[in-house]
Amino acid sequence: MAGKTKKIELPKSVLEMKFMKKTRERIEKELQNTQDHGRLYSDIITNEMRSASGNFISESSFIFCETMLDGRLSFKGMNPEIERLMEMEKAEAEKPSGEMVKDVSDDILAKKMAKLNKMKRPSASPVVSELSKIKRKK
Amino acid sequence: MNVSVGDVVLPGDSCQEIATIGEKSKVILGPGLRKEVNGIFITKAGTLRKRAPNTFWVDNYQKRYIPSRGENVIGIVTQKAGDIFRVDVGGSCSASLSYLSFEGATKKNRPKVVIGDVVYAKMLVASKDMEPEIVCVDSHGKKGRLGVLEDGFVFKCSLNLIRKILNPECPLLNSLKNEWPFELAAGMNGRIWIKANTMRETIALGNAILASEYHSNDEIKSMCSNIASILAGHIS
Repeated sequence: MAGKTKKIELPKSVLEMKFMKKTRERIEKELQNTQDHGRLYSDIITNEMRSASGNFISESSFIFCETMLDGRLSFKGMNPEIERLMEMEKAEAEKPSGEMVKDVSDDILAKKMAKLNKMKRPSASPVVSELSKIKRKK
Repeated sequence: MNVSVGDVVLPGDSCQEIATIGEKSKVILGPGLRKEVNGIFITKAGTLRKRAPNTFWVDNYQKRYIPSRGENVIGIVTQKAGDIFRVDVGGSCSASLSYLSFEGATKKNRPKVVIGDVVYAKMLVASKDMEPEIVCVDSHGKKGRLGVLEDGFVFKCSLNLIRKILNPECPLLNSLKNEWPFELAAGMNGRIWIKANTMRETIALGNAILASEYHSNDEIKSMCSNIASILAGHIS
């Protein structure tokens, strides 16, 4: 709701009119409030960054240090909902990341391209030589 | 005393190794390490560990839970105060859980949570000076694996054990998962919730988890096969 009211902004000239005094004050107050909120949340976000200095990042939890499974597990159909989530996570982990699946390997492609280039160049150069011959004849 | 990775360390020890790495590249200091003006100091008694590239932490025995952001915990709802629930997570003070932080919850459509319920939740805010706040939804508003845990059995253990059984290299869950149907939720606050079809299976699972704390990987494997054969023998 706050977002909606923010979007509709009255022009400055209208706000400066005498009868708009109350609205003007309200808008100023709202603006101040939102700025205060921003400061409040930025405090929380940068808490960890503040405690760190230079190259050192402090982390108070083991979950960022050790590799660990998710703590909620189900086996042999005890909770199908959880098992579905586990399977999805497993499939995602096994999926090859980054690399595309290739039909033609890089080596073969490089060889083919080299051949193609060789074939192109000899055909291109005769045309040039022929053109020069024609020019000479003229 | 100057220590290096793999050593048994005590509070007050300093680590020159980490400080020199930190001069060149980024270093993550996990629990038990502290940056001071004149070096890196140990604040917990345990083993200094490292994970590539540059993450260091102290692996220590601990039963007291200190809330920290992003961890999944198991809590017990102790009080309903207006629009928040007070949840006991085992920390120095109880955590707050808003009734709006459940999947599909609105002001009109309140979630069905009563005092005494066990919830699996994520730490959203955990600071030194304020009470922690937990949520039962992810950033997309989906519940995922979080939410109220129905039925089952909750028991406490050390924080190490949680990390041990959730380690992908630990054979405990791998050897038990094909034996009988069960469900498990492990909170980083040293609480485990388990659920199986019968009481025998639940007790067997709970005992297997608690017994694995001081066992090696081979011992855990043989213990699990033992338990499975005993259970199967009695049922058939």
